[in-house]
Amino acid sequence: MKAVGRTGRAVLSTYFGLLVVFLYAPLVVLVVFAFNAGNIPSLPIESFSTKWFSSAFSDTTLTSALLRSFLIAVVNGLAATLLGVMAAVSLARRRLALRGVVVTLILIPLVVPYIVLAVGMVVLLHELGIATSLVAVLAGHVVISLPYSVLVILPRLRTLDPSISEAALDLGASELRAFWFVTLPLMAPALFSSFLIAFTISFDEFAIASFLAPPGSPTYPVVLYSSSRTPALLPEVIAIGSIVIVLSLALVVLAEVARRTAERRIEARTEAPPLTAG
Amino acid sequence: MLTAITPSAYVVIVLLVPIVLIGLYSFGLMTNVVGTHTAFSTSDWSDFLTGAGNPFRGRFFTSLIVTLVVSGAATLGAYPLAYFLAFVAGRHRYTVLLLILAPFFTSYLLRVIAWQVILSNNGVINSALWSLGLRAHGHAISWLIYSKFSVALVLFYAWVPFVALPIFVVLDNLDRRLLDAAHDLGAGRFSTFMRVTFPMSLPGVVAGFVFVLIPTTGEFIAPLLVGGPSSQLFGNSIQAFFSDTPDWQYGSVLALTLVAIVLIMLAVFGRFIGGDLTRAEGETV
Amino acid sequence: MQQVNRRDFLAAGAMLGGAALLGGCGSSSSGASSGGSGGGSSAKTTPLSKRPDISKEPGNLSILEWGGYEAGGTKAQTSGLWAGTPYTDEFGKHSLVYTYIVNDDQSLSKSATSGPFDIMHPCNEMIPSFVKQGLIQPWDTSLLPSFKNLNPFLVEKGQINGKQYLIPWDWGYASLLYRADKIDPADATGWELAWNPKYKGKISLWNGSGSNMEVAALKLGYHNMDTMSESQIAAAKNTLIEQKPLNKFYWSSEYEQMQPAFKSGDIWITYSWQDAFVSMSKAGLKVAYLNPSQGKLSWFCGFTLGAQTQNFFHAHKYVESFINHKACVQMTNLFYYGTADKTIKPSEIQDHKLAKQLNIGDPTAIEASDVHLQSWQPERPKYELAWQEVLAS
Repeated sequence: MKAVGRTGRAVLSTYFGLLVVFLYAPLVVLVVFAFNAGNIPSLPIESFSTKWFSSAFSDTTLTSALLRSFLIAVVNGLAATLLGVMAAVSLARRRLALRGVVVTLILIPLVVPYIVLAVGMVVLLHELGIATSLVAVLAGHVVISLPYSVLVILPRLRTLDPSISEAALDLGASELRAFWFVTLPLMAPALFSSFLIAFTISFDEFAIASFLAPPGSPTYPVVLYSSSRTPALLPEVIAIGSIVIVLSLALVVLAEVARRTAERRIEARTEAPPLTAG
Repeated sequence: MLTAITPSAYVVIVLLVPIVLIGLYSFGLMTNVVGTHTAFSTSDWSDFLTGAGNPFRGRFFTSLIVTLVVSGAATLGAYPLAYFLAFVAGRHRYTVLLLILAPFFTSYLLRVIAWQVILSNNGVINSALWSLGLRAHGHAISWLIYSKFSVALVLFYAWVPFVALPIFVVLDNLDRRLLDAAHDLGAGRFSTFMRVTFPMSLPGVVAGFVFVLIPTTGEFIAPLLVGGPSSQLFGNSIQAFFSDTPDWQYGSVLALTLVAIVLIMLAVFGRFIGGDLTRAEGETV
Repeated sequence: MQQVNRRDFLAAGAMLGGAALLGGCGSSSSGASSGGSGGGSSAKTTPLSKRPDISKEPGNLSILEWGGYEAGGTKAQTSGLWAGTPYTDEFGKHSLVYTYIVNDDQSLSKSATSGPFDIMHPCNEMIPSFVKQGLIQPWDTSLLPSFKNLNPFLVEKGQINGKQYLIPWDWGYASLLYRADKIDPADATGWELAWNPKYKGKISLWNGSGSNMEVAALKLGYHNMDTMSESQIAAAKNTLIEQKPLNKFYWSSEYEQMQPAFKSGDIWITYSWQDAFVSMSKAGLKVAYLNPSQGKLSWFCGFTLGAQTQNFFHAHKYVESFINHKACVQMTNLFYYGTADKTIKPSEIQDHKLAKQLNIGDPTAIEASDVHLQSWQPERPKYELAWQEVLAS
């Protein structure tokens, strides 16, 4: 017997459909109004126009903020993945001194509210006499991305067949070489996922950036926030926002496709030969 | 050894030390105002915790209630979604799951701004009503935005897909033979659900609830964009103290309180969330 | 998480304790170091010849400003202000980044937490705190050709220890603006109009932090709004809490919230500076600007130079583009705020009657006996805390 009967299916499917509409409606609204010629995102739509796109791209405050956020997100992706690999390697070992402490430390950023971390870093910089800077923003982003990185990399590391890297060691490779040339490539999908997650977290992060980005070099979310409160700047925000949304949706799909393809390929290559009877 | 120390030390320096500093500020041992005398004092703490009619404490509890309600609603809203994915969606359920999760990976700020565009006084909903003649032109529905409703709606919207994930994982991994066994023993669909499926899905439900509860407790962005003066959350008070006043000491009391409540939530609900990270290779629970 | 046992928690606790020691050691001189990080504003000023040439400066000015005061030519400028246009003409409109404040207290706190800014536009009462916290440095008035046009009365008030920390620019009043056709004249006697339950839901006070405490003080009949005692502060706070439900909202942005709501008739009584009186009259509404029995508030504001600015010469050019005669005249004709420019002639003002009413041209009016100049307060942080409590109630 199926778990769900006919009425059940109908009800659940309707609910699902409504929810999908609910989830995507705001995104559609943004994309639609990005092409609205009017100054206010209000119905009825005045006329089709791409002027807000050209206006947004010639606004160097906005474009330089986008570039800044992109760069910080890329570096954050790399740094968080690097630290995540280190943490995962140590946690995957059979024996680790103070394992509980390491785990706690790695996971704490998951539960500390970003606003608390933001003001805490403001206080730290103040006490050290250091001015706010984009490096500080990056440092904050790395710490909040680290647990996600570990949570993605560690399971992958654990499922790797250890006999492969052991084979490399038997053949004379040092531990580091074995790790770099054997283990790491096998973890590629997880590393890529970690990079993407860290990138996404950083690109959209507002709390830390709002406190730590210097006023002359705001990140994209900071510009987004302040522009959204100024009616004159809102249409540009919507235009750029619609591009960001479309790109990130495409990225999610691509990432998933790439991940599945890569995993299938790696599993095919490292499949242990089938056991034969006898 | 290095691989364990480096990330740990990083977290200590960038996250723990700031929290400790906030703690010191909250007890008056440090100050940001040049030339002020510093000495251990619990006056800010006692004012917040026990001061008669302390408005920040009031906002703390109101905030907590909003958070619990929103988290509960999101969990309730996500359950049928997860159930659909696990039992109705069939072969393509992982793709459908991706469809549901994809908006979650776009910019949170943009999605809140989108709701601002939809709900605001001359936004999509109101202008649609005016165009259709259902409402007098220029008269907006006042509670649509800058209200508790708008904040709750936005938070619900943002978290429902995310909460569905752990519930789906549990439901998806449910051994179908158990359901068959229940049927063989004479149970109808509803009965099977109430006595087998739902109880077995509880770990996923609690996990989802906690996944939304903890971040929402510190939420302050949605109230900034779509909230009004009566719908600000506790996180906004913390932000206000550090950006609108020079009183970092009092602000630190609030910040530390937020950390404490989140840790308490974790202690209470954390038992239900397994962590195989704490096990070494080869160890079993 | 469930696996973390007591031993590990103790170890983590030891680490936290170590971190506390670390934090404690580094900040034993927190008072001194935090002042030091502000720069040497009170220390010797670098002679002009030692400063890098203007072409070597980064050029992106970050400015802490009130909404509506953005330089002409920038996209954010929508209030019609011309001032600043010479600067954007010369250096481009994309070279300016504005961060906004909505009340006087934010001018100080944002400069301290979100800074450093190149230029800030605070008002008179915050200047001593700015200097004390090392956030600003004196201007070099020799670089400002229009400086000699500024009224000595205001110029002197912008000095501390003989150094020009504030270039005064705008001055005016604050009072209640109300719909003369909706409000009973018998009720329009003083600040208590905002407390009148008859008009519940039609009132909007400013999210003014310390300024609102001053309004409350005046409403309560205090004569010492700058030096209130603890019990007076508590009384002021409580009366503001009483007033809170009468508001439709507290406005933070004049152009986005207060003026549209007033124009559409959503609110009839609002805290405002005189520019809103002018705008609403021009929009055809029957409005009046209250002359409270307790006296109006008055203010003057201006430009301060960030202590850590890398754009020393750019900043001076920016200010010059605001204090030149044309900019001052246009500002006065737009907002009907007074300007620090003493060379302004009555013939240059469009509405002579209004100008006379507001004493434009005579900044000493801000110190008239029936007016309260917003000034520095020793216990301002207490006022700000009280306001946060009002907001959270």
